[in-house]
Amino acid sequence: MQIGPDLLFTIAGFPITNTVVTTLITDVILITLVLIVSKSVALKPGKMQNIIESVSDYFRETTESLAGERSSFIYPWVLSFFLFIVISNLAAQIPGFESIRFHTSSSGHHGVALFRAATSDLNLTLALAVTSVVATHYLSVKHTGIKSYITRFITFKMFSIFLFVGILEFVNELAKFISFSFRLFGNIFAGEKVMSTMYSLCPFGLPLPFIGFELMVALIQAIVFAMLTMSFMHIMTDKSH
Amino acid sequence: MEIIQKFGFETKLFLFQLINFLIIVFILKKFLFKPLKRILDERKRRIEQSLQDAENAKAALENADAERKKILAVAKVGADKLMASVKVSADETKEKTLAEAKFRSQQIIEEAKNKASAEFENMNKQIGKMSVDVSNKILSKVLSELFTEEEKQKIMSRAMEMIDEKITN
Repeated sequence: MQIGPDLLFTIAGFPITNTVVTTLITDVILITLVLIVSKSVALKPGKMQNIIESVSDYFRETTESLAGERSSFIYPWVLSFFLFIVISNLAAQIPGFESIRFHTSSSGHHGVALFRAATSDLNLTLALAVTSVVATHYLSVKHTGIKSYITRFITFKMFSIFLFVGILEFVNELAKFISFSFRLFGNIFAGEKVMSTMYSLCPFGLPLPFIGFELMVALIQAIVFAMLTMSFMHIMTDKSH
Repeated sequence: MEIIQKFGFETKLFLFQLINFLIIVFILKKFLFKPLKRILDERKRRIEQSLQDAENAKAALENADAERKKILAVAKVGADKLMASVKVSADETKEKTLAEAKFRSQQIIEEAKNKASAEFENMNKQIGKMSVDVSNKILSKVLSELFTEEEKQKIMSRAMEMIDEKITN
């Protein structure tokens, strides 16, 4: 079973895979959304602005209830993760998304899928995980100070216990890369495989409940990623922790 | 590293996804969240302003109501005073008019009495005079047949004196 994305072609040595194409489609959708909303933004909101405002308000209020006034710099990150992941996940749930084939020199008679869920590529989920963790640490240094940040990992108070706790904290931070990236990747990749199995078993009717299920997974995974980022950013930027 | 490559990890793709996402975050922050935040803040400001205006209007209305009640109370007190003074004045006028009317009626009665009394005296005198004349004529007639002129004159004079005395008394 192939886990990685399929290579479609290369541009100046850079591999263009089907997940890269989907990522670019996600970018286009997001930029179009930004253009529509930023152009039509008004005190009396239109339909699109209403939807974006509802989502934005939900995350802003949730962040505010958790982090208080620190929500001003936390929630844009949280909302960015949510929007990018949810659009990328939902785009992959369009029926027939993977049915469009692309012929390459190395592909067989059926070719390879032109589109594949961007979040079923570990490269993307790991990039998102790295961005989340690095941004969290950057905000921690910026808002709690370098001294406070370092003492989370290295402290000489009650040497033996807290040094051990510091090491655990460090391991915990490394584990975040794995938990963030593999949770999202695993869920979406598994969903993709389940859907392709259902389509191959009986393309009419049988995939329908699974589409509903995958839509839920797509939404829940985006929320989980965003909420975890919010939670870690809150903990790391709080001086009392 | 080998394990992660089995999952399809490739440095170039990873870096592409990383940079791509950072660009998306930048675009979202600059062109979506900022205008949204600006508009939400503006809306929040307007709502707060509207609430403040409503609060002010409510306070102004309450003040106006209190002012109205105060003016009404003052007006009521004024009206009560005026009514009381009018009542006193009306009573006084009534009493004065009554006293005047009483006085006038008594004056009229008095005048009428005097006039009637004068009239009565006048009538008495006239009746006296008439009775003297009639008596004189009767006596003259009777005496002319019985007495001489001299006796007649004496009797007449005597009778006239007696009549005069009677009338005078």
